Formats: sequence, C-alpha cells, structure tokens
Amino acid sequence: MKKWLRHDSWRHIIAIFVCLFALFPLYLVVISSFASSGSLQLTSFIPREISFKNYRLLFNDPTIPYLSWVQNSLIIAGSVAVLSVIIGSASAFAFSRLKFKGRKQGIQLLLLVQMFPAILAISALYVIMERVYSFAPSIGLGTRAGLLLVYLGGAMGVNIWLLKGFVDSIPAELDEAAKIDGASEVQTFWLIFVPLAAPVLAVVSLLSFIGTFNEFILARLFLVDMESRTVAVGLQQFIGGQYSQNWGPFAAGSILASIPIVIIFLSLQKYIVSGLTAGSVKG
Amino acid sequence: MTYLIRGKVALLLKIIIVGLASAILLMLAQSAFAQREYVISAFLALTILALVLTYLTKISIPLKFFIPGILLLIAFVIGPILYTVAMSGFNYKTGNIISKEEAIVQVKIRGIEADPAGTSFDIKLGTYDGKEAILISDIANLKYFISTADSRISVAANDVTLNEYGVGITAPNFTTLNDAQMASADKSYTKIKFQYEGEYFIALEGFDAGIVTRQVLEYLPATDEFRNLVNGSVYRDNGRGNYALVDDQTAILEPGWRAPIWFENYSKIITDPRVREPLVRVFIWTVAFAFLTVFTTFALGLLLALALNRPIFGRRIYRSILVLPYAMPSVMSILIWGGMFNTEFGAINTLFGSDIAWFSDPNFARVAVILVNLWLGFPYFYLISSGSLQAIPSELLEAAAIDGANPRQIFRKVTLPLLLQILSPLLIASFAFNFNNFNLIYLLTGGGPRNELDGEIAGATDILISYTYKIAFGTGTQDLGLASAISLIIFVLVASISLYSLKKSKVLETFG
Amino acid sequence: MNKKRFGFAGVFAAFALAVSTLVAPSASAATEIVVWADESRGPNLTKVIAAKGDWVAGYTVKVVTFSSFDALKDAFDKATDASGPDIVVGGNDWVPTGAKSGKLAPLALTAAVKARFNPTQFLDLTYKGKLYGVPVDINNVAMIYNTKLVSSAPKTFGEMVTNYKSLKASKGLKAGLCVAGGGMSWGAHSVFSALGADAYQFNSRGGIVYGRTFSATTFGSNVRKYLMDGKKSNGFFPATDTGCKDNFLAGTVPYAVIGNWEWADYVAKGFTMNLMPVPGVTEGTYGKMFGSVSGALLTTFAAKHGVEAGAKSLLTNFFASTDGQVRYQALEKRPPAEKGAQADATVSAAQRGFGSAASLAGIPQIGAFLNTNKGGANYWDSAPAYWTAVLIDGKDAVKEASKLATIWRVNVEAGKADL
Repeated sequence: MKKWLRHDSWRHIIAIFVCLFALFPLYLVVISSFASSGSLQLTSFIPREISFKNYRLLFNDPTIPYLSWVQNSLIIAGSVAVLSVIIGSASAFAFSRLKFKGRKQGIQLLLLVQMFPAILAISALYVIMERVYSFAPSIGLGTRAGLLLVYLGGAMGVNIWLLKGFVDSIPAELDEAAKIDGASEVQTFWLIFVPLAAPVLAVVSLLSFIGTFNEFILARLFLVDMESRTVAVGLQQFIGGQYSQNWGPFAAGSILASIPIVIIFLSLQKYIVSGLTAGSVKG
Repeated sequence: MTYLIRGKVALLLKIIIVGLASAILLMLAQSAFAQREYVISAFLALTILALVLTYLTKISIPLKFFIPGILLLIAFVIGPILYTVAMSGFNYKTGNIISKEEAIVQVKIRGIEADPAGTSFDIKLGTYDGKEAILISDIANLKYFISTADSRISVAANDVTLNEYGVGITAPNFTTLNDAQMASADKSYTKIKFQYEGEYFIALEGFDAGIVTRQVLEYLPATDEFRNLVNGSVYRDNGRGNYALVDDQTAILEPGWRAPIWFENYSKIITDPRVREPLVRVFIWTVAFAFLTVFTTFALGLLLALALNRPIFGRRIYRSILVLPYAMPSVMSILIWGGMFNTEFGAINTLFGSDIAWFSDPNFARVAVILVNLWLGFPYFYLISSGSLQAIPSELLEAAAIDGANPRQIFRKVTLPLLLQILSPLLIASFAFNFNNFNLIYLLTGGGPRNELDGEIAGATDILISYTYKIAFGTGTQDLGLASAISLIIFVLVASISLYSLKKSKVLETFG
Repeated sequence: MNKKRFGFAGVFAAFALAVSTLVAPSASAATEIVVWADESRGPNLTKVIAAKGDWVAGYTVKVVTFSSFDALKDAFDKATDASGPDIVVGGNDWVPTGAKSGKLAPLALTAAVKARFNPTQFLDLTYKGKLYGVPVDINNVAMIYNTKLVSSAPKTFGEMVTNYKSLKASKGLKAGLCVAGGGMSWGAHSVFSALGADAYQFNSRGGIVYGRTFSATTFGSNVRKYLMDGKKSNGFFPATDTGCKDNFLAGTVPYAVIGNWEWADYVAKGFTMNLMPVPGVTEGTYGKMFGSVSGALLTTFAAKHGVEAGAKSLLTNFFASTDGQVRYQALEKRPPAEKGAQADATVSAAQRGFGSAASLAGIPQIGAFLNTNKGGANYWDSAPAYWTAVLIDGKDAVKEASKLATIWRVNVEAGKADL
C-alpha cells in the first residue's frame, strides 16, 4: 500500500487533475442541455432544474429535422472517411514504394499545397460549384454530393501525408516477396498492403470522419436546404442568430451528435492508439 | 478477392468502371459545354482522357495510383489556389467585383433619374398593333394613353374600361396580356423605354406601375466613356476598374469592375504601413501561437502518457475521460470555452474568484487561446505519445538503467530524443495545422481584442489566416485582391521556412 | 495488345453511354422568384407566401432559408447570377456595399407605396440617393427593468447607479445595467447617448444633423461620474454583452437593454412589459435607443434571370403591403415597418411598444457612413473598444472619448456623400 502511494500517487494526481480539466467544459454543456432557459449555464455549477425541453424540441419540432441532419453528417463524413482513405492510400503507396521520376518533387509539392492558406479558396470553390450547379444541379452548390467532392479534394493532402508515413513503416521485404511471386504493383497494393494497413486506414478514416463532421464554414455555404444540412450547420442556427443565441437545443444536439463518435472512440481506443502511432513509428 | 484483382474478370471489371466513369464525365462535360462553362468542360474532357490513358494503357504505373487523388487535388485544391494567385493581380474588392460588361450595364441602369415630381402611373401590360405596349392611366387627371417604344397615343376616357380602382384595363386596339403572358413578358418589357414626353420615358416598376424617368448617363461604346447628358461631363476608364470624371479622378461611377492592376496589391504590402505593420505583428503572433500550442499540447500529452504508462488502477477510466475533448465536436467545445472566459459571468472567473477581462486584454486573450487549444489538442498527443512509448524497445531502457542512469536521466537522454525523432513528422504536421487554425480563432475571440481607438487594425489574437479572412470577407470593405496577395506572401514565407527546417532536420530524406 | 483493343472498346462504350443517357440540363424556370432569408425570417416567409399563392400572378416564389444571418451574408457576398437570389432579406448595412459592388439594383417606388412608410426608414435603405429595397421589419432595442429588484422606472441615470450600489450586496448583483441585445456598439448606443454622446441626430423633418452631437468632454466626465470608481469600473456597467440575458433573467442584474427580436422570450420567462429608453443624466432626458430596419432588397440578378418586373411586384404587393406585413409579422413577431401594419389590431402590444420606441429614435443610414473604413477606422467597430479601454484598462475616460469622437467625425465627413 505504501509502495503504491509512493510510486503511483503522482500518476493519479496528474491523471485526476487533467481529467477535471477535460471534463469541466463538458459538464457545463450537459447541464445547459437540461436547462429550460435556453441560455448557457455559466452562472452556477449546480443545475437548478432538469428539463428535457431541448431534447424534445430536436425530435418533435417539424421545423427542426434533427435526424436528417445527423443522417447527412453521417453519410457525408462516412463517405469522405472511406473514399478519401482509399484514394489517399493508393497515392501514399505509390509515393512510398514505386520508383518514378519526380517522386521527391511530388512529395514536396504535396507538403507545400497543405501549407497554402486556403481560406480564400472558399470564394473559388463557391464560384466553381455554383457553375457546376448550372449544368449539373445534382452535384453542384447546395447538394450533399457537391460538398462531398469538395471535402474529398481537401482531405487528399493530409491523408496522403499521414498514410505515407505509415506505408514507409511496413517492411519492404513483404511486397518484394510478392513481386518475386509475379504480382503486379496494383495487385501488391490490394493483396498485401491494404490488409496489412487496415488498422491504420481505419484510424485515418476516423480522423477524416471527425474532421468532416466538425466542418461548418463550407457546409453552411453549400448546404442551404433545411433537410440537407449537416449537424454542425443545423445546430449553428440556434446560436448564429443575428443578435440572439439559444444555447439549450444547441447543447442538447451537440451532445447527442457526439455520442456516436465518443462510443467509436472508446471502443476502438487500443486500435486508435496503435494506428496513430504506426504512422510515426518506423522500423 | 484475388479473383477480382487478377485475370479476365478483373480486366472486364476495370473496363466497365472506367467506361462508366468516362460516360458520366462525358455527359457532364457536354452539359457544361452547353451551358458555356468552357473551362470546366475542358477540365472534364482532360479528366476522361487521363482516366482512359492511365487505366486502359500501360503508359505509367504510378499514375494508376495517383490519378484519382491528383484529379481531386487539381479540381478542389490546386485550382482554387491558382484562382487565388490570379485574384491577387486584380483590383478585386467591394465596389470592384463584377466584370466590366456587367458594370457598364449597371452604370446605365443607375444613370436613370426620376422626374423631379416623382410622377408615377398605374399601368396595364399589353400589345398595340402587335407591338409591346402599356396602357397608362393618369387617374388624378382622368387621362389615358397607350405607349410603345416609339410612340404615345392618347385614348379618350370613354373608350377605356376601368377596374374598381379606376385603372384602365382595356382600350381600342390594345390587347391586354394575361397572367402567364405577363410572366414571360418580364424579360422584354422591363428593357423597353416607353414613350412619354421629350427625353422622359416610362419604365416598369413591377407590373402595375410605371415611373417617369430619363436617362442621364449615356454610354459611348466607340470611345468607351460615359457622358452625363444633363451637364455634359465625361467619365473615362481610369485603368483601375472605374469610370472616373475626366477633371476629377476621385469622382467615380459605381459599380466598378475587377480590373488587372498587376503587382499593386503586393507593393501595397510593403509600401503601405497600414497593411504592412499589422501583418508583421500578426505573423509573429502566428508563429508564437503555433509553436506554443504544439509545445503545450505535446508536453501535457507526454506527461499524461508517462503517468499512465504503467497499468495503474483506473487507467482505463482515465483514458476514456482523457480522450473526450478529442471526440467532442470542436465547434461546440470552442464556443462553450468562449462563454466560460466571460469576465462577469464566466465559469473561469467564478471558479478562481478572479475578475480578469480575458478577451479584452491582449495578453490574457492570448493565454486563453493557448489554453483552449491545449484542451482541444492534448488528447491527440497523449494518444500518440503513449503508443510511441510502448514502441520504444524496453531493452534500450533496461540497458540505460544497468549503466546506472536514474529515471530522469533515462527520460532525458534516451526516451525523449527517441520520441522526438519518432514524432517529428506529426509535430511538424501539428505546427502546420495550428498555423492555419482558423476555426479556433474565429469562434473563440474573433481575433480580438483590438484597440481601434488607437488605430489598431489587426486584433491581438488574430493569426494570419483569420486576419486574411477578415480582409477578404469581413464587414465593410472586402478586399479579395489584397487578401490573395497576402495569402501568397504567407505561403512563400511558410513554405521557405518549412522547407529549410525540413531539409535541416532531414525529415524529407527519411520521409521522401 | 489485347488490352489496347479493350481500351478502345471502353472509350467507345463510354461515348455510347454518354450519348444515350445525355439529358438536357434543366434550366431554372423563368417564372420563379427566389428570395433568400436567414434562419428566423426564412421559414416564416415561406409559410406566409405559401398561404396566399398569388402575391404576383403568374410567378412562383421560392424562399431559400440559410442556417444563420452570417451564413446568408457570406453566401450573398459570394453569389453570382448563376445561383444568386432575386430578392434578399438583409440588414440595412448591406445596402452600401451591395450597391457599390453592383449586386443590388435600385428601385423607384410610386408615391402610393412610399406613403406607407416613415421617410427615415427609406433613408436606411438608400445609397447615394437611390433606394435599394423596401423596409420589412424594425430592429431596435429598449431598456427593461426587473420589478422584483427595483419597483419603479428610473428617472435618471444616477438613480439607476444608486439603486445598484444599495442592492449590490443584499441581492448579490453582478452588474447594474447591461446590454443583452445589439452588442456594445449599436446596443450600447443608448448608453452613449444617455451620457452625452450621440452618433446621430435628426431634425424635425427627418434630416440628419451633422453638428457637434458627440461631446467627448461631457460624455467622458459622465462616464467618470457614473461608471467609474476612481480609475476602476464601479461594476455598474459591464464592458461586454456576454451573459447579460442570463443574468438579467436570473435576477442578478436589475436593468438591461434588450432587442425586440427577443422580447417574446423575456415575456415567456415571466417578465412584464416595462419598456423604456435609458434615462439621461438629468430628469426628463433620455438616451436615443438605436434602431434600424431590415429590408427586402432587390438584386441585379433578378434582371439577369428575367424576373425583374415580377420581383418588383413582389416587393410592392407583398413585402411593402399592409396585408403582407401583417401576415408575416404575426409569425415573425418583430415590429412591422409599414404604417398600416403597425396600426393593425393583430400586432401585439410589445411589437407596438418597440415600434413606437423606434419612431422616437429616428432611423439613420448607419451603414453608409459609420460602418465604412474611410479615414481609417469605423465608428461602430470602434465603439466597443471604448468600454474596454476605460472600464477594464482604466484609461482616461475623456481622452479615450475624444479618440472615439475623432473617428466618428472622420466617418461622418467621409460618408455624407453616400447618403
């Protein structure tokens, strides 16, 4: 017991302290979501009331299609997560394994592209998608498909960069062996690399998923129809009023929307840790 | 699985997929062409060519891996970047947004002036002798006439049938338009100047009213100038996207258009102290912010990873709690933090019994920004550090211990250097991410505080990207041209610093 | 070898498919008028317009609702005629920038339509002598007080301060007067005004007075007297608006400046109607409560979409009509701008209360001259910095006021030409 105190107490102190730091804002969100006043409960730490008004509003008010928003977010973020990782890992694989002219320049270009302060790209993207809308209304401005395309483009750089780090860490002997067996590069990719990299691909997917789920600057410009909004955009309307803010439903909606992510996170914890690290640990 | 990747089936599958993709793209390219979106159409056509060449021939194997990624990058990342580069060469700001042709049309429309008395009439749309015409009712004087683009015909009061408001609805030889016809007449009738008296004509103000107006500004295409028909003054293209009065260059006609001014936006950054000074200040804070964020998040993450590196009691619970900030939607968390820092009513001041004006004092605001970002970012570094700690070969640590090193020495001499080496790409990536961490600043402080009273232009917590955003999309004047030029300068700076440090740290070698 | 042939086959198949599935892109109907609005006005406009389908015969009206006012502004800033609206319901401060950039189109109303509005309201939507929209609703603020804390309406500013000081300890007050609506520039304008600094003033004919309405010395010394305790704030007036509503509702702040758009929420939480302007330093004087209008603005895209006359008709038949505003404000619950609608029986007492407060205030074209950066800074953006500098940083109240007055003067001089 004494040994425990001496050896582990500092560990507990640090952990508890940081846990409190982590939980504090979350606690405020939770009590705000159960308050009926619609305001952010900053004045008292102890909830004065427990009301489900905000939660009921999200599900019972026909003008607030909360479930559609969640569905849209899941579909868009899910598609981005899957597609961007498939496309990105192919590029990462090529950067890591194939020898070709301009490979190094390619990587440098990719790194540079990521450093470009792309905030002004918003106007360019808007104009592009507006024009796409004029000839293909189903994938232009205002559609989920259009937003998906834009996200995919944006996710490319980071994902290739992250995934490349991982591919580098897989011993080259494996695919060389495959090559001797007569497999082509494409076959090596699908048959050797993808199964090996599955945990990392999953983690990078998850990161893309969260990133996309959180994005709202582009989404609020692109998804105007009430039914086609994402959660981030939909909930923003409660606090983005011209002068007024309604925190209750926002807090309730955010909590519900983050529950799936938290569950995924907690259940895949081990996996995530190994995946996140794999990108950086090289053999 | 193997079956799908090897052999004839695979080939067939490939052809079907490429064929289908090409078909869809071709369809889009054609529609784009039909809508006169030539650039997009050409891009789509090139995409088809690239797809077919890459996947159905053996031109290049790496391309087979790259093509989808490259195409997406070009369309949605590199394309917009080039657009930004192009914008930086234009006088492209509030007042100079549209094209010159559109601007001329708009100036002509604004060059119309109502008569001094503000005369207006009730009207009815129709045709007269097969020509577009309006039936005008001067209710006050019980006078009625029909007007077309080139003539005005008076109609006797008893020839006109009136509705309950006294507005004429039928007249001899005048065929009234029905509702559906009116809607389709919108395009043509609104452009007609119906005859009234002398230089005055009647313009449609909706379907029921006409306003007596005259054209004051006239466009002369031959000389590309506007002339004021009343006082004879002449406005010419000033080369910066406006028609300006010949004698007084400050008197311009609005709206203007986006005109090329080449490098003026760039030279402004250097020569104009109102642009340069805030930019330098913001740049310094941006670097400091990104560095401090990476440092603090990594330090706290590592500390936790070290603390929880042994299977102590409750580790799973700790870990579950510690990843929560990472799993919560950050938009939400940032906004909540914003509320918590409020001076009078915020939870932070309540908790510590302080009365700090967090977002009104530059230094406290900066501390708040770093603190919130620490909250958002430490779980990431906790997760990767704890993973990496486990990846450090235990023999290495044992060997050091046998050599007589104490735990602190082992950490400093063995663990930390190894970790830094392992994590350096992620640290650099995190630096790059935070360098452009727009959401945090935008949602938390909006870049403030800013002491406007003393002429400050940029806020104390503004980072380059939020500052550029304000220039481009803020309230008041939005200067997209200047913002683009600043973006480019930032890019050159960041890129050279990064490339230099990457070269130095040899990351590119090990990575490339 | 084989592959090559398959390649050509693929291309051929692609062409064949493309030709067979090619559908002509659907051109948007030329008889549809598109209206853009924010998250609160949009749904109400949709309902009202749908309830009576023939506001403009031969046209359908489509209301596009954005997720927030900011999102609407962002999109309108970026929109081109490819997807832009024909009418946008926006703030009065959109008029100068929209007109300058050629996104808004001028319109000329007939005398009959003009007569339906207070002339100063048109001033709010006018840029360089041309009108760009019709007033739809009034956005203004007024002060309310918590009757559980203070029994009667304060007669002077000093009375409020005294009440605050005497109740501070016993009731656990967090502040005396705070701004819950409109922020620390527009919302706090009434406090500026009550203490002697007016950003605008009107003569009896509704014209703007450019005289010395902003007295830095008077204002600065009043700030010292009422809001300061030596070099520190006396706690009466917070320098930010965050949390004000919460605290007023929680009973820890006796006086608050609130916006009309939130009135219903206060009523729902049990507050009685006791709207009043912020009292001045001497009895019988009051600070001017800020007010402006939101307008339905005509865009230049309407002409390009071929619905110009239709859009103009919608503006006069619906947005600027008594019938239209009564129906719309029955849902939106802001004070209507149109005179007939203001007098309508269905308009609630609170809407009317705010409405009359607005007509007392007069409504200036703030966008044109106090919102642009001509001359360096702009007044509305700079005003909040005054409170920070004085109440938090403890800088000299008069000196800072004269800085603000300078900015104000430069703005007004530079902006006169834009009216």
